[in-house]
Amino acid sequence: MAGFFSTFLSWISGRVFFFSKTAEIAIVGLQASGKTSFVNVIGSGQWSEDVVPTVGFIFRKVRKGNVTLKIWDVAGQPKFRSMWERYCHGVDAIVFILDSADPEKFNTARFELHQLLGQPALTGVPLLLLGNKNDLDGHVPVKDLIRDLQLDKITDRPVSCYSCSMKSQHNLDIVLQWLAGRSH
Amino acid sequence: MAFSKKEDESGLSSYYNNKTTIIQEARVFNESPISPRKCRALLTRIVYLLYVGETFGTQEATTLFFGTTKLFQHKDSALRQAVYLAIKELATTAEDVIMVTSSIMKDMQPNSEVIYRPNAIRALCRIIDPSMAQGVERFFKAAIVDRNPSISSAALVSAYHLFPHAKDVVKRWVNEAQEAVSAKSAGYFGGTVSGGSFFGGGGGQSAAQTVPSSSNITQYHALGLLYLIRQQDRMAVTKMIQQLGGGKSGAGTTLKNAMALCMLIRYAAKVMEEDPNVQRQMVDLLEGWLRHKSDMVNFEAARVICEMKNVTSGQLTKSIAVMQLFLSSPKPVLKFAATRTLASLALSHPTSVAVCNVDLENLITDSNRSVATYAITTLLKTGNEASVDRLIKQITGFMSEISDEFKVIIVEAIRSLCLKFPAKHAAMLTFLSGVLRDEGGYDFKRAVVEAIFDMIKFIGECKEQALSHLCEFIEDCEFTKLSVRILHLLGIEGPKSSQPAKYIRFIYNRVVLENAPVRAAAVSSMAKFGVNSTDEKLNNSIAVLLNRCLDDVDDEVRDRAAMYLKVFKTEKLVEPYIKEDSVFSLAALEAKLVSYVNDAGSSAQPFDVSTVPKISRSQAALDAARPSSLDTIGVPATKKSAAAPLPPSAAEAQSAYAEKLAAVPSFASYGAILNSSAKPVQLTESETEYQVTCVKHIFREHIVFQFNVSNTLPDTVLEQVTMAMQTEDSGLTEDFVLPIPSLSAATSPGIVYVSFTRDEPEEYAIASFQCTLQFVSKELDPTTGEPEADGYEDEYQIEEVELSAGGDYIVPSYTTFGAEWDRLKAGPSLTETFGLGTSMESLKAACDSIIEVLNMEPLGGTEVPTSTSVHTLQLSGLVTGGGGKVLVRCRMTFSQGVGVTLELGVRAEKQDVCQLVVNAVGG
Repeated sequence: MAGFFSTFLSWISGRVFFFSKTAEIAIVGLQASGKTSFVNVIGSGQWSEDVVPTVGFIFRKVRKGNVTLKIWDVAGQPKFRSMWERYCHGVDAIVFILDSADPEKFNTARFELHQLLGQPALTGVPLLLLGNKNDLDGHVPVKDLIRDLQLDKITDRPVSCYSCSMKSQHNLDIVLQWLAGRSH
Repeated sequence: MAFSKKEDESGLSSYYNNKTTIIQEARVFNESPISPRKCRALLTRIVYLLYVGETFGTQEATTLFFGTTKLFQHKDSALRQAVYLAIKELATTAEDVIMVTSSIMKDMQPNSEVIYRPNAIRALCRIIDPSMAQGVERFFKAAIVDRNPSISSAALVSAYHLFPHAKDVVKRWVNEAQEAVSAKSAGYFGGTVSGGSFFGGGGGQSAAQTVPSSSNITQYHALGLLYLIRQQDRMAVTKMIQQLGGGKSGAGTTLKNAMALCMLIRYAAKVMEEDPNVQRQMVDLLEGWLRHKSDMVNFEAARVICEMKNVTSGQLTKSIAVMQLFLSSPKPVLKFAATRTLASLALSHPTSVAVCNVDLENLITDSNRSVATYAITTLLKTGNEASVDRLIKQITGFMSEISDEFKVIIVEAIRSLCLKFPAKHAAMLTFLSGVLRDEGGYDFKRAVVEAIFDMIKFIGECKEQALSHLCEFIEDCEFTKLSVRILHLLGIEGPKSSQPAKYIRFIYNRVVLENAPVRAAAVSSMAKFGVNSTDEKLNNSIAVLLNRCLDDVDDEVRDRAAMYLKVFKTEKLVEPYIKEDSVFSLAALEAKLVSYVNDAGSSAQPFDVSTVPKISRSQAALDAARPSSLDTIGVPATKKSAAAPLPPSAAEAQSAYAEKLAAVPSFASYGAILNSSAKPVQLTESETEYQVTCVKHIFREHIVFQFNVSNTLPDTVLEQVTMAMQTEDSGLTEDFVLPIPSLSAATSPGIVYVSFTRDEPEEYAIASFQCTLQFVSKELDPTTGEPEADGYEDEYQIEEVELSAGGDYIVPSYTTFGAEWDRLKAGPSLTETFGLGTSMESLKAACDSIIEVLNMEPLGGTEVPTSTSVHTLQLSGLVTGGGGKVLVRCRMTFSQGVGVTLELGVRAEKQDVCQLVVNAVGG
C-alpha cells in the first residue's frame, strides 16, 4: 500500500514539475583540491576552512532554478582513485577539480585524469576541469593548465576548463551555467 | 510489503531466487530514475539468499555492494533501510566497503531526524576498520545517550561489536553506557520516530512509523556493553551487580527490562563461581529476585541457585518452591524450563527435588513430550525402588513418540538407575533391549549399547542375558562402530561365560555377512574364545572357522586370521599377543620413532622397541580421555567449570626436550637421547631473584645437564651466565659448558648446558654435584633500557644436583609382574635386607619413598598397602641404554618400635643393574 502511494506521489511530482531538468555529475580530483568545498558552496553557499577528508563518497542533491543536480562527491585519496570509474558511469558530466596553486601535483593529476578518461565505458562523457584556489598568489592560469594537463589531447568528448575559487566564489556562476547546460 | 513478497517467493521455483538471476537483475540499481519498489524487492532477495546460506564470490559481492551504494541518492526511507541491511550482509565479503563511510556518517548526524539513523549506526560498525573508531567516537557517545531507544540500542550493540577491535576507544564510552543503563524510563517522545526491530537482523522493519518501545531493551544492551568493558575486573563487576541489583530485596533496582535482569543474574552467578567470598551477598540478591514480577527473572534466579557450587538444601527450598509453581503453570515453556532444571538438580540433590514428585507425576502424561521426558528422568532419579517398574512401563509407552535426543536423555537416566538399584536390573535390561530394537540414530543406539556395557561391567548377574541381547542386536545392526565394539566386548566377556560356544554362531555370522571392519573384529573376537577356552573341541572348531577366513577378500581379515592361527600353534606367543594387558606409551613411541628416522646412522639397525616404556590399558584410556582441543571449543563457557586439563605426561615432556636439544649443534654427535628426567628439579626457592631448575639428559656416552635459569629482576641483565659443577664422585669428566650470553627478565628462562662424558658407558655412574651459578651482573639504565658498560662478577649458590638410579637410569614401565618375575628367575638377581628404622611411620610411607627413589611403576595396586603389618610392593622398570627390564619385589613388615623392615628382591637382565637398584635404596 505504502509502495503504491509513493509511486503515485513520484508520478504526480514528475508531472507537476514537468519543466524541471536533472543532471547527474561526478566530482573527482586529487585529495584536498576542494571537491567537498565545491559541493558545499553550490549546495548551501557556505565555505569553510576545515572540511573533514571524505571517506568513500558523499551523495548530494542540489537544486538551482529548475535544474536538479545529483552530485557524487568522490574521495580523492590514492586508495579511492581506482573507484572513481564506478561513480562516473552514466553521469552527464565529470568535473575534475585541481588545486591550481600547487603545480607540483599536476603530473599526478594528469596521470589520474587520463587514466580515468581512458576507460572505454566513459567515452563521450563531457569533462569540466576546474583550476580551483585562484584566490591564492602564484596560481597557474588557465592557459598553462590546459598545457600541463594535456587537455588538447582529449578529442573524444567536449572539454571545458575554468579557473575559479570556492573561497571568493569567483567564476562560480559560469561553472553553474555550464553544469545546467548538461541537464536534460 | 517486501516481507510478504519474500514469503510468496519461497514457494516459487528456485530460478527466481537464483544467484545468477539476481546479479543480472542488479541493473535496476543503476537505472534512472530509481524505482524504490524494484530495488527493495531485489535487496530483499539478496539478503534472503545470504540468509539461506548462499555465498557470493568477492567479485560478485563487490559488484552488488557498489550497486547498492548508488541507492544513497534516493529519499525513500524504506529503501534506505533495506540498503543498510544489504550493506551489513555484504560487508563481510565485498571489497572496498570503506567507500560508504562518509555517506553513512552523514545519515547518523546527531541532528538528523531520519528513521534509518539506527540502521546507519548498525551498518557503520560493520564497515569501518578499527583505526577509524576514534573518528566516530563523538557520534557514538551522542547516540548511546540518545533519548530514542532504537538509536541508543543500535549504538550500544554496535559498540559491543566494535569492542574486540578497538578496546581502548570503546572503553571510554563507559559513562555513556552507564547513563543508558540507568535511564529512568523510555516513556513516550512526541514527534520522534523510531524504527526497526531491536534485534538488528531480520527483515521485519516496516516503513510505517512505529511507536517508541516501552520494553526498555536498551538497558539490556547497555548492561551487555558495561559487562564487556569490565569483565576483566571482578571488583567492578561485583560493584555493578550490587549497584544495579537494588538492595537486598531487589526492589530498588533501576533495571526494568526482564532480559537485563536475567543477564545481571548470570553475571552474578559467574562472580560467585569465581569468588566464593561474595556468595553470601549474591544469594541474598538472588532470593530477592525469586519474588520479581517477571517469570523469566524468577526462573533465572532459581536456576542459578540450583546450579550453585556447594549449595545447601536449605538454600534450595525457596527456588524449588518457585520451580514447583512453574510445574503447574499453563505455559509449556515454563514447565519445560522447570523440569529441565529439576532433572539436572536431581543428580546432586534428589531428596530436595523429591518434594515436587507429585507435580512431576502429573507431567508424565503432558502432551509436550519434551516436558514429559524430563519429568520422567527426574522421577527416576528421585523415586524409590518401588516406583521403578511403574515408571519404566510409562516410558515404554511413549518412547516411540519422542525424538532421539530425548531418548538419549532417558537412556542415560536408566543407566544411572541401574547402578543405583541393581536389584531392578531385570526390568531395566528388558527395557533397554526393547528400545534397542526400535528405530533410532547412531547416538541413541550408542547410548543404549553403552548402558548395557555398564550393566555388564557392574552387575554380574545380568551379564549372560545382556550379552545375548547384544548378540541379537548385532545380527541386525547398521552401525559398523557399534558392531565392532560389541564384538570386542564379546571377545573379552564371552569366554568367561558358562557356555562360550553359543556366542560363536553369532560372531561367525558376522564374518559371513558383514563389511570388512566388522569381519576383522569378529575374527579377533573368535580368536579370543579359542585362546581362553580349555575345551579342546571348541578350540578345534574355532581353528576350522579361522581357516575359512583365510580366503576372505579383505587383507586385514586374512592377516588377522593367519596371525591368530599361528598364535594358536605356538603357546608362548599367546601371552604377548592376546592376553597382554599393556600398550606402548604412544607419545614416547612417537618420539623414539622420530629420532630413529632422523638419525641417518641408525637405519642400519632395526628399531629397538624394547626401550619404549609401556603403560597399562587403564592408563592409556586415561590418556585418551584428555580433552582434545576440538572438544573444548564447543563447550559453552557458562557451563560448570570443566575439569582442569591433565598435565602433559612425562613421555610428552621428553619429546619436547628432545626437540630443544636437537637444535644445539654441539650435541649433534651424541646420538639419540636415552632418557631425560620426567620433570625439572627445582634447585632454588620459588621466590628468589634467580630461579634455576635442572633437567638431566642421558646419552650413550655423555650426560647433559640442562639448567633453566630465570632472572626475575626487571632492572638488571646477567651476562656470561655459566654453571660451575664440582663433584667428588668419579666416573664422569666434564667436557664443556654452553653459557647464556645475556639474560634479562624478558628473555627468561635461558638455558645453560653442561656436558659430561661417561668414562665407562657400560657403568651407571652415580654422582652428586655442588652447583654455583656464575655471571656478570649489569644494571639497566632506566631511561634507555640499555645495560650499563660496567658490571660486577657474582656467584649464586644453588642446591646440589644428584645423578641417581631412579629417574636417570630407570624409567617406569608397565608389565605383567607374575609372569615376568618367573621368566627372569634364571637371570641375574640380588636380594638384600634393610631396616628402614622408625623414621618410616607406616608401610604406606615406605612404599611412597621407595617408588620415589627408584622411579619405577608400581603394579597391581600394590602401592597402597592393605595390611598395616605385612606388605609386598611390586615394581617394574626399564633401564635406559639397552639395560633391559628390571623388576623389584619389596617385602615389608612393620611393627611398632622397630619400624619398617624391608627385603628387597631385584631381578634384571644384567647384574650391574641389580647392584644399581640395591645401592639406590641402601645409599
